[in-house]
Amino acid sequence: MRNTTILAHAIAMTALALSGSAFGQRPAAAAKPPPAPTPRLADGTVDLGGDGIWDQPWITDFGKQLVGDQQIPFLPWTKAMFDYNKSNQVAYDPQGFCLPPGGPRMFGTPYPSQFIQDRNRIVVIFEGGAHVWREIHMDGRPLPKREDLNPTYFGYSVGHWDHDTLVVETTGFNEKTWLNFNGTMHTDELTTVERISRPNRDTLHYEATITDPGAYTKPWTVAWNIPWNEGAELAEYICQENNKFLLELKDDNGNPFFEDVPTEKP
Amino acid sequence: MQRTLTSLLFAAMTALAAQPSVAHHSFAAEFDANAPIELTGTVTKVEWANPHTYFYMDVTSPKGEVENWALEMGSPNGLMRRGWTRDSMKIGDVVTVTGSRAKDGSPKGNARSVVLSTGKKLFAGSSQDNAEAN
Repeated sequence: MRNTTILAHAIAMTALALSGSAFGQRPAAAAKPPPAPTPRLADGTVDLGGDGIWDQPWITDFGKQLVGDQQIPFLPWTKAMFDYNKSNQVAYDPQGFCLPPGGPRMFGTPYPSQFIQDRNRIVVIFEGGAHVWREIHMDGRPLPKREDLNPTYFGYSVGHWDHDTLVVETTGFNEKTWLNFNGTMHTDELTTVERISRPNRDTLHYEATITDPGAYTKPWTVAWNIPWNEGAELAEYICQENNKFLLELKDDNGNPFFEDVPTEKP
Repeated sequence: MQRTLTSLLFAAMTALAAQPSVAHHSFAAEFDANAPIELTGTVTKVEWANPHTYFYMDVTSPKGEVENWALEMGSPNGLMRRGWTRDSMKIGDVVTVTGSRAKDGSPKGNARSVVLSTGKKLFAGSSQDNAEAN
């Protein structure tokens, strides 16, 4: 019986893949069995972990992930910097230097992640970026004032459950990251509110509202889904070991980025 | 029979669940998507390291001149999730690469796929595959 089921499934998937390519359509999702329900811990809380990893997608353009808004509400300087960053093919993206993506971008960086749920905290381990983790305090402590914090790549996070959605507030970011690969920048006034849910075992819905009066005219929200990869594991990834990209990176004048080359006198 | 089918099914599911290409730095800042390359050569060195795996190979031009090319691929983790192993490619192997050439015209490229000496074709985790925006 099991053989027959597998056979039928394999044939169905192959047929769908073939018909999909023949007609220029994606294979229908209907071939997949319905995903397992949202896993829960003994106390009923949504379990964001399990025997697997979250296969984070590569989100290269936050402008395409907007919720509600039609466009990113740039201030003139962030629009100018966005255009400048585009003009040099985002060559100076801090992540290219093996620095952490920081903020919501971390969940749109295509290396997998895992959630470790403790009673009073949730730790998210990211394979990519720079092999980093985030700690979300779940013990009810208030979010500190930005001025009282040492600014960091991931800031300081407190979280709580709103029914089945994990709500994470973060402040205390440094200015050493870009919000997104395509060159959207921010200031240390940045705060984020992330809403993370797991509508079924195989889907993490990620949503982040970005508020930064130093960089944008109003708060804006981006969202995407992250698929679960049951049974897969994280692996080591040390970005800094052989970053050849930097060795040949040039500045705007065509000089090596990391070499002190005397400029010609006019 | 069952094993074959299960493998087929697994392969199909893996393909569907494939992670996006490994992204680390700007593809367009270093490579030219409009300068495709297809090269066959003999592997001289493999750097199985992060953030990108590199390998080097001697390519003989029609004039008989040998040029050593550097080819960038994805991270070792990204490659292993695409079916590579550490010994998929060894020094002395003859392989064929398709990809894009470096903008500066040097003998360097970003590999999208590699046909190994066994004839097996593997994708190389190119950062080009998802860099639609930039």
